Amino acid sequence: MALVEDPYALLEKWLKAREFIVVGKGIERADAFDKAIGKARFVEDYFDKGVLFVKQVLSEEPHAILEGIDYSEALKIPKVVGVFTAQDIPGENQVGYALPDQPLLAEGKVRFHAEPIALVAAEDIDAAFEAVERVKVKYKPLPVILDPLEAMNRTDVLVHEENGSNIAFRTKVRKGNVEEGFAKSDVIVENEYRTHHQDHLYLETEGALAIPDFEGRITVITAAQYPHLAQSIVARVLGIPMSKVKIVIPYLGGGFGGKDDEGPLVAAKAALVAYKTGKPAFLMYTREESLRIHPKREATIIHYKSGATKDGKLMAIEVKIIHDTGAYTNRGPFILWRASVHASGPYYVPHAKVDGYCVYTNKFPQGSFRGFGNPSVQFAAEAQMDELAKKLGMDPVDFRLKNLLRPGQTTITNQLLDHSVGIAEAVEKLAKKMGWWEKRKAFTEYNKRSKRYKRGIGIGVAWHGISTSRGVPDWSNAYIKIDKDGSVTVYTGIMEMGQGSPNSSHRQIVAEVLGAPLDVIKIVFGTTDAPDTGATHASRGTSIGAIGVLVAAAKIRERLNKLAAELLNARPDDIVIANGKVYVRGNESKSMTWQELIKQAYARGVDVSATGYFFLPKGKFDDAKGQGYAYPAYSYVAVAVEVEVDTYTGRVRVLKAYPALAAGRIINPVQVEGQMEGAIAQGLGYVLMEQFVFDEKGRVLNADMTDYVVPTALDVPVVEKPVYVEDLFKYGPFGAKGVGEMALIPVPAAISNAVSHALGIRVTRLPLTPENVYFMIKKK
Amino acid sequence: MFYKLPRFNYYRVTSLNEALKLVNELEDFKVVAGGTDLVMDLKIKRYIPKNIIDISRVKELDYIVDEGDKIRIGALTRLQEIVDSPIIREKAYVLAEAVNQMASWQIRNMATIGGNLCNASPAADTAPPLYVLNAELKLVSVEGERIVPVTKFFHGPRKTELKKNELLAEIIIPVEKDAGASAIKLGRRNAFTLSIVAVATLVKVSDNKFADVRVALNSVAPTPVRAPSVEKALIGKEVSLEAVEEASKLVVNDIKPISDVRASADYRREMSIVLTRDSLLRSLERIGLKLGGEE
Ligand SMILES: Cc1cc2nc3c(=O)[nH]c(=O)nc-3n(C[C@H](O)[C@H](O)[C@H](O)COP(=O)(O)OP(=O)(O)OC[C@H]3O[C@@H](n4cnc5c(N)ncnc54)[C@H](O)[C@@H]3O)c2cc1C
Repeated sequence: MALVEDPYALLEKWLKAREFIVVGKGIERADAFDKAIGKARFVEDYFDKGVLFVKQVLSEEPHAILEGIDYSEALKIPKVVGVFTAQDIPGENQVGYALPDQPLLAEGKVRFHAEPIALVAAEDIDAAFEAVERVKVKYKPLPVILDPLEAMNRTDVLVHEENGSNIAFRTKVRKGNVEEGFAKSDVIVENEYRTHHQDHLYLETEGALAIPDFEGRITVITAAQYPHLAQSIVARVLGIPMSKVKIVIPYLGGGFGGKDDEGPLVAAKAALVAYKTGKPAFLMYTREESLRIHPKREATIIHYKSGATKDGKLMAIEVKIIHDTGAYTNRGPFILWRASVHASGPYYVPHAKVDGYCVYTNKFPQGSFRGFGNPSVQFAAEAQMDELAKKLGMDPVDFRLKNLLRPGQTTITNQLLDHSVGIAEAVEKLAKKMGWWEKRKAFTEYNKRSKRYKRGIGIGVAWHGISTSRGVPDWSNAYIKIDKDGSVTVYTGIMEMGQGSPNSSHRQIVAEVLGAPLDVIKIVFGTTDAPDTGATHASRGTSIGAIGVLVAAAKIRERLNKLAAELLNARPDDIVIANGKVYVRGNESKSMTWQELIKQAYARGVDVSATGYFFLPKGKFDDAKGQGYAYPAYSYVAVAVEVEVDTYTGRVRVLKAYPALAAGRIINPVQVEGQMEGAIAQGLGYVLMEQFVFDEKGRVLNADMTDYVVPTALDVPVVEKPVYVEDLFKYGPFGAKGVGEMALIPVPAAISNAVSHALGIRVTRLPLTPENVYFMIKKK
Repeated sequence: MFYKLPRFNYYRVTSLNEALKLVNELEDFKVVAGGTDLVMDLKIKRYIPKNIIDISRVKELDYIVDEGDKIRIGALTRLQEIVDSPIIREKAYVLAEAVNQMASWQIRNMATIGGNLCNASPAADTAPPLYVLNAELKLVSVEGERIVPVTKFFHGPRKTELKKNELLAEIIIPVEKDAGASAIKLGRRNAFTLSIVAVATLVKVSDNKFADVRVALNSVAPTPVRAPSVEKALIGKEVSLEAVEEASKLVVNDIKPISDVRASADYRREMSIVLTRDSLLRSLERIGLKLGGEE
């Protein structure tokens, strides 16, 4: 009998599994203990004596011609080894991800305050600090443009002259005919929404240690989210082949997308110094530098018009989305693209027109952040849903249930969703479990009696496409080998930033599929020595990242079943391997240990190593028509919250949050709960307190943790256990879809809808700081 | 780890005398107690002193003593000791209440009450309760000591009554009988936040009339302030919700808020009124007078 090696067949086989050894259980993650006792090592822990210390010279102007950089005084400091500018880059000084518009070190011009201009390397920290102060940069200031609306309409001031316009990128989605849709609508709602930047504020700032000539290549230990991307950027900047660059991503103190953008850049900076000096070089951003330099969550202006019939059917949406991408597009076009195709929310809409604009200004760049363009547009879409429901005299949940996507329906890009669409069921279950309808009435009654404190309950429902947008190629891979003693090593490019995919779900999947005991399975993660696995972003660490792990393990399992069948004199299909025990189904006396089986594999010529390459099948998106294939599947999420507003001070307290998730198979419920709780806390911070304050030159006035305020334990509400609908995705490992970003996406919508319910005033702008809420009430 | 402090000579003293001698002799120095303000200020180069005198181990300035009609607190008493002190909780609860809303447990275990006062931030949270308690400060130098009311101590942001060779040694709090007092802070989150406005009030009532009223605020002027307009409007008046609400509005006459990254001047003005009202009502409640106004 031929062995099955086809990934589709293997995925399908394991998708059908009905009984599990470890999948679906709250298995303790492999790194829990080391992290608890402080043994786990992060980038900074590898810094030691003898390593060059690198500091960045940052622009003091938001927009200026660079007329000269004089660092002769800096070089006079004895321990200073060198100062490096764009001139010193041996390869390409070009690190733009979406468009080639961004230098690693400013060249010719600076486009935002704190843009990196030069790197100073010294034998000790003090000398590096002193040297930075002695570098003299000559600027010729240019007019500064901060407002994206103004930037769109001006061509006399250009952030990028070569582009001829401050509009960097556009998107478009078209379905049906919106004029017809609005004509058929009985109610129409139209509003403008605004959302603001957010910093990731990971505990660990950006850092990298580059070691030249280790294993004959330059090795960079860096805080990034995609080792192979960091590898290609380092190789490009140094002008050397990728095979001469090794990236190692140790444990990360949080990423949230921020290190997907800045990680390769910090790696390239450290690598540049190591390459030029021949010495190990270390660069770590201070908190203030991190706040000023790395890209932030999108700040948006969203104009939204929607219409529905009197029996509560959504008919049409017309949406204009403007993203302030700052000085560089970074991943802005991808973020805008995602926002555009998700603009409807997870609803069936027959007529849709969406236009997106990614606009340059003289601010820090916009970047990847948990939700990637989606929290802002779902905030607008869900506000519209509440307003339509209000006009129709319907309950917000009832109205949503009439319109939520179901299998067999099409999205606004006209993509057919044939399976894995569990959101309607999830929302209905959630509403019942939390007593939505009763609570909504009770709060409305409470507000009639209470003068000062008003209570509200609101829901946000959202969706998030899994994998890269459009037809952009996406794949998974992993390499697994089993050593003679039966221990299993898995190599993956997926990294560990606290989310746990390698250390919990990958390990569980391998234990499930191979049947090996958990404690012999070691995942080597975040390394370019693994095959390119794609990034750990877009909630894909498990959903896409573990496909390769599953396929590789399944290939080996097929071979082991065949071997065991021969040894135990049974049929391969009857071989059970679980928790390190190998036996024949229904006859456990015919058995052997895992270790014996592997020993036999080595003795009898059975290959116990495999790669698990899987290329996701995708359709095409037609940019001209604004229609086509967007994502292989979507994860769905809903969060409902209860709030109390002190109308005298404007303070909003979130009392309780209720999440629901339709993200396919839940591989590890404890990890998923952690993601949901963390996402709700981070979303709450975004909505209630976090904001950047700029001066008229685009300088950030609160680039420190005294004044960039994030929630504490005392600000975070009770988060109820999530409602799960396991709407399996056929290519996901065991049917899993993505989780990491999900619960954050509907939080701006949920909180602002709850506040709107409490106050009877439509929230259209974030953040809901006490001051903003107070003046919103007062204006009414 | 990766910040640079300026270079300085470091002196560690263990007695007040040693400290006083040093501040008398040295030029260009800064005293460090808990360091929770000073170290940050050194990092951002607000100060670049040649010398640092570490007084954190001067044990003789770390005490809380109950003398019946007054409480004496050593300047080096940690904030958390104040929160936890049965003496303070019983006889000057409003101070414990305000201090408990400062920083975090970790910081409160480092930070001293003297440091909070001597740092002279407009947002110093120990100031409003000490203002309404009519606290006095003992300033000492090699020449001797003097007592000043806390309300005379602040001259402006980071400027105090202290002479170059003086240290703050002690905070003296007269114990108030039959008074209700409370402290409320409005920040940008529920804990670990500098105030947008903080208010403390103290009231005494006899024959249902306000016999004494003290109101103090921070973050709404270059220094913490008392609100004499509110105090005067209430003293002698019949206790009522309307009286409290009307008088609270007068607080705007006593403050000069600015707009900064934490809040606008307008918002600070409006919140000064709300917090004054809320604090007065709470203080009254603490002496058994519940006027409502919460619904
Ligand atoms: C994270 C964080 C949160 C904070 N939250 C708050 C808050 O909520 N509310 C608030 O009010 N403050 C807050 N602070 C500020 C600070 O913690 C307090 O002001 C604290 O009380 C300062 O005391 P210290 O002993 O650390 O002072 P230090 O930093 O040691 O000294 C502060 C200043 O006082 C001088 N000084 C200290 N002791 C004496 C003395 N005996 N005689 C003369 N001069 C002296 C020093 O020279 C220095 O100029 C916070 C600080 C941090 C870091």
